[in-house]
Order: sequence, then structure tokens, then C-alpha cells
Amino acid sequence: MALVALHTQHLLEPVSSTYLGMLGRAIRAARLNKTFPERRQLDGTLRALGAQAHHGLYDGVYLDSRSGLPNMASFTRPLADRGVGERALDGYEDQAALDAKRDEAEVFARMAAKRRYFELLQTLTLAPVDEHRVLLRRHEPESSRASFRVELTKLDGSGAYLRVVIDLTQTASVWSHKLVDLDTKGEVASGTEALRGMVYRFASYDAETLFIRLHELEGVHVERVQRGILGPMRFSIPHEGEHVTVLESRTDATEGAWSAACQTQGDSPLMMASFATDVAALDVREEKSNDPLAPLLSDGIRDVERARYVTLRERYPFRVYKDRKFVVTPSLVDGVRQACVAVGCKNLVYPLRG
Amino acid sequence: MAGEKLNLDILQKDVAYSGEGISVKSLEENIHEERSVQNVKVEELKGLRERNVEIQKSLAEEVGKLRKFGDYIDGTATKGGFWAGMKEMLSHLPGLKNIAISQRSIEELLKQQYQISATRVKEAAEYVDTLKQSEQDLYTEIDRINEKIVEMATNESVAADHVLELKALIDRIDAEMQTIEAGSVDARELEGQQDKARAQLAMHSANLQLYSSAEDRYASLKNNTRKLVQTIRNLGQDIGQYTTAASIKLDMASAQIQAIGTAADASVVMLELKKSLDVMTESMNATTQFVSETQVFFRKNLDDLLNDLDTFDETTTKVLDDNIEFSKQIEEERIEKAIAKALKNRAQRGDTPAPTEGD
Repeated sequence: MALVALHTQHLLEPVSSTYLGMLGRAIRAARLNKTFPERRQLDGTLRALGAQAHHGLYDGVYLDSRSGLPNMASFTRPLADRGVGERALDGYEDQAALDAKRDEAEVFARMAAKRRYFELLQTLTLAPVDEHRVLLRRHEPESSRASFRVELTKLDGSGAYLRVVIDLTQTASVWSHKLVDLDTKGEVASGTEALRGMVYRFASYDAETLFIRLHELEGVHVERVQRGILGPMRFSIPHEGEHVTVLESRTDATEGAWSAACQTQGDSPLMMASFATDVAALDVREEKSNDPLAPLLSDGIRDVERARYVTLRERYPFRVYKDRKFVVTPSLVDGVRQACVAVGCKNLVYPLRG
Repeated sequence: MAGEKLNLDILQKDVAYSGEGISVKSLEENIHEERSVQNVKVEELKGLRERNVEIQKSLAEEVGKLRKFGDYIDGTATKGGFWAGMKEMLSHLPGLKNIAISQRSIEELLKQQYQISATRVKEAAEYVDTLKQSEQDLYTEIDRINEKIVEMATNESVAADHVLELKALIDRIDAEMQTIEAGSVDARELEGQQDKARAQLAMHSANLQLYSSAEDRYASLKNNTRKLVQTIRNLGQDIGQYTTAASIKLDMASAQIQAIGTAADASVVMLELKKSLDVMTESMNATTQFVSETQVFFRKNLDDLLNDLDTFDETTTKVLDDNIEFSKQIEEERIEKAIAKALKNRAQRGDTPAPTEGD
């Protein structure tokens, strides 16, 4: 198996369905909270990408070969199909008529499949490629202050699927550079293009970086920035004497455990899914990274930069906490747990069932 | 007794036409019904032509936007090079003009554009199946018309045979009447039989004309249906070819577009950005090209086809009018025509020439 384009691999059926099934179960087993992208939407997209949903209309899915997740083409596919299908269904014959004609010509068999697929899509909630939301938390007109929650769900350039949630307060006196607009009744909030652009571009960086960047703005008080990240995922699926794997996975602290499991894999598929959180907030008690794959930003600061970094941090009274949980096939549970301990972390490792 | 030498059984013969009986009105209704299928397909093609114009317009706008991004990033759109170009491009984006804090993400813009492009290509591809379905429906229609043509031809042949038999009987009665006294009882009996034969001849000669006319009109209908099938098939193949190519390019370019968007946001790798935009523009161009070409195709073919159908309508109406007019003409003329046609048919089949008057 080889890359078909930049950071792109094409997973063909039946491997594709095995992969989508495992990924869906892993996401459910991870017990994701609201820090992460919505599970129901992901479930919908993964289901729509499977052969049982599209009835053979596609031959597989495209993955990001670094993160092991469906890439932009795959995320876009059901979204575009749902829109096109909604408009097309009116012109289709009913299901029974199309089924009755499916042996007459190839086009009727395809349209019978498409009708089922399009109708299913209308019932599913699908994961967006990107989605911004701004929610008003509190409005104090007498003090010209308003508190907001800004949420961004993004399929990141790194191939990860993530969500950024920011709690901030804005004071009206400096609304010449305002980040959030309120409607005339002071009830509905919407982010300005400036806020949208800034959050979007900084979503790929640490929560700490975005916290500082926003806090630097006059009249803006940031309380919390948190990121929930899906990925990277690893899998190894036996097929026709080979093992289909993520082609550009990065070497990390779990490498040894993964390699060992692959050597004794046999005919069973393997998966190691990880889900990271990264929080920069005023109420974090201890600054720490419990993420074996992502150290704190301060750990990577060079000595010449350290003094400036320390000064910057002293200006803002927040702390950072990073964490990661894993969902792995049972044969990997002990190995991954030990790998985490070896780098000073203690992580939740859930077994992947089914 | 008069007519003892004559075989009058033919007057009691049950002539078996297949299908429902025929009349000018029923023929008109049946042809109208068959035409309605064709009309629906032509209407679909007209709708497709209008939709094509919409798609072409929106695709052209999107390609224009992509080109503009490309030119600005390339630095060719402004004298100040890349940075001036980038600044100017961003200044055109809504909401950014006077905001010093930040600019909108290029990655996000490109991803939105990608989704619009993917949807457009899928919309175009959806038409391919619609066209293929129409094509199949019309093949079924052709089968049905063929059955009608065979039925009409068979009935025409049955009517022709019976018309000739009746004509021969009338002639024989004429000859018999020459041998008996005019005004006698036998002569009156023979006249009565001849009137019966003439009445039947009138009815079956009308049928002969109607079945013949129906056969010709169903054949014309079939030819036009074939033209429609050909138009739809060619169009479907063209669109299918372009959309498949555009779809593959978009699938392959998604990671590149996203990567370059991220890079643009980080203000690096600008030439790569230009290259990526070119890949996407190329894909959109392919789609735009098919729309343009199908426009030409429509202009060239659909209009001709519609003209043909209009002509066909005129011809059909004329034939029907002629029939109505024809029915008003004197009986003998119609009978003569029917007999002539029946004789011609028989001669073409290589049968023994029918007895004519004076034989």
C-alpha cells in the first residue's frame, strides 16, 4: 500500500469498513466529554462513509496518512452528498420501483443504492469540516461587560480533528476592536471575522499560545482555553497476507508497545486510538503534562527565550494541564500503560471491545 | 335463388384485428399519449439546459475567486509583490478592512471553497444518472412503440386482405346481376347483398387507411425517440467523463489544499500555495469546460431536435386533419385508395394479384 497523494492513503473495502467500525467503537469507548468534537456527529460521518451506508457507491475512504483519521475529502463526501441528495431525491422514483428495475440496467441498481444512501444521510447528523459557534454566558449592561464561550471544531492541517473552547470576557469600552458582536437585545452573540480568523489559525497550537494571544488584546479577559484532540490513531488490519497500517505515523512514546503487539498480531486487527486534552485556565491547580505524546510548551523553550517566556507567563495567572487517554485492542492495554508510566505519565487506557 | 353461385360467407366473416378498435379519435389519443412520454423527456432536457447555465455561472465565479487568490499570492496582481498582494486580497474580504487584530484564515477560506467545488462536481455527476435513467426509460418506450408498429402493420395487412375480398365479391355480384332481369326479386336480393358488401368495404377500407397511417406515425415517433436517446446518451457520457476527472482531482488535492492553507496562515511556502490553487483551479476548469461544451451541445442539438419535433407535430396534425377531411370525401374515392393500397401491399408481399374489375 502506498500514498496516493500528499499525506493521503486510500483504504479500500473491505479493509475500509473494518477500519471505520473499529474507529467508531474506539470513539464510543473513549467516553468523550464536551471538550472534544461531538461524538454523535462523528458517529454519523463514520457510518455514512461505510459500505453498509453507501451500498458500494464508493470503493473506500481517504485517510490522512499521519493521523490515521478520515481526511478532508472523506469528511466532505457525506456532507456534499447529503446536500446533493436532498435536492435529487424529489426526482427519484420510489424505492420499490427502483428495486424492481435494478436488474434492467446498471443505472437503476445504482439509483436504488443512492436513494437508500441519500435517505439515510438526511437522518444523520454529520461531523463538520469546520464549525464556529459563539455562546453568550453572561451580559452585564451596567458595567458594559459580556462573557462568552467561543467554540471551534476543526479538521486540522495536521490531520487531527479537534475542538477549541474559549471562555472570555469582553469590556465594551474598547469595542473598537471587539471580538464578539451582540445583537440589539443583547441576547445573541456572534464572533467577528477577526476573532474567527485568530482562533482558527491558533487552533493548531497549544492552548497556552492562544490564551496569551487573546489575553494580550486590550479589554479582553480570558478565563479558559481548552482543546480536545482526536488522534493520532494507529491501526493494523490483516488483508490478503499483508497488514494495512497508517503510512506516516510518527514515532512516539508508545512505539515499543505498538511494535511488540504487531509482531504477535496474527489475523486479528489492532488499533490504538488516542484522545488528548490541553487546557490553559485560571483554575488549573498544577501545571503539568500527563500526555506522553505532548510535552508542555515550556519544556521546549530554548534557554535564550526562557527569560522572555517567564516574564510573559508571570503577566498572566493561568496554568496548563495536558492529558491523553487511549483506547486500544486488549492485547495492547498493558504495553501502552507501561509506556506511559515509563515517561512519567499515568493515563486512562480503555480496552477496545467487539 | 340469386347468388347461389356466389360465396357470400365473406359477409359473415369475423375480421380479427389485434388490440383495441381504431378510429381517427382513438388514433389521435394514442399518438398523443405516446408523445407525452417524449415531451416529458424534452422538458427534462430543457430543465437541464437551464440548470447548466446556473452551474456554469457559479463555477465561473468560483474559478474567478481561486484565480484571484492565486494572482494575489503570486504577487502578479499588484506591483508590490506578494505581501502587497496578500494585504490587498485580505482587504477585499468582508469584515477585515479596518480590523487590525487579525485576518481571516486562508486555510478556512480554501476549505470552504473546496467544499463548494466538491458539491458542484457532485451536482453535475448526479445529472449523469438522471440522464442514464432517462435513456433507459426511452429504450423501454422504443420497445413499446415497436410493439405498436407491428400491431398496426398486422392489422393493416388483415384490413387489406379483407378489402380485396369484399371488392372481389362486389365485382362478382355486378357480373351476376348482368345475367338476371333488372328489378326482379333475384336482382333485388343481389343488390341487398352488394349493399352489405359495400358497407363492410367502407368500414374496412377506413380501417386500412387508419392502420397504415398509425404505422407511419408510430415509426416517426420512434425515430424521434431514438434521436432523443442519442442526445441524452452523448450528453451523459460527456458530463460523466468530466465529472469523474474533476472528482478524482479534488480527492487527490484535498490534503495539498489544506496543507497549503495552513502554510499560508503561517505566511510560508507561498509558491506552493500558488501551485495548490492551480491544482484546484484545474479541477474546476475541467468542470467548467464540460458545462461550456454541453452548452454548445445543447445549442446545436437540442434546438434542432425541438425543431424536428415541432415539424413532426405539424406533420402529425396534418395527417390527422387529412384523415378527418378524407372521411368527409365520397365513399368511392376512399375505397379506391384503400383498394389500391391493398393491391400494392399484396404485390409487395409477392401474393397472387387480386382480381380487378373486369377480370
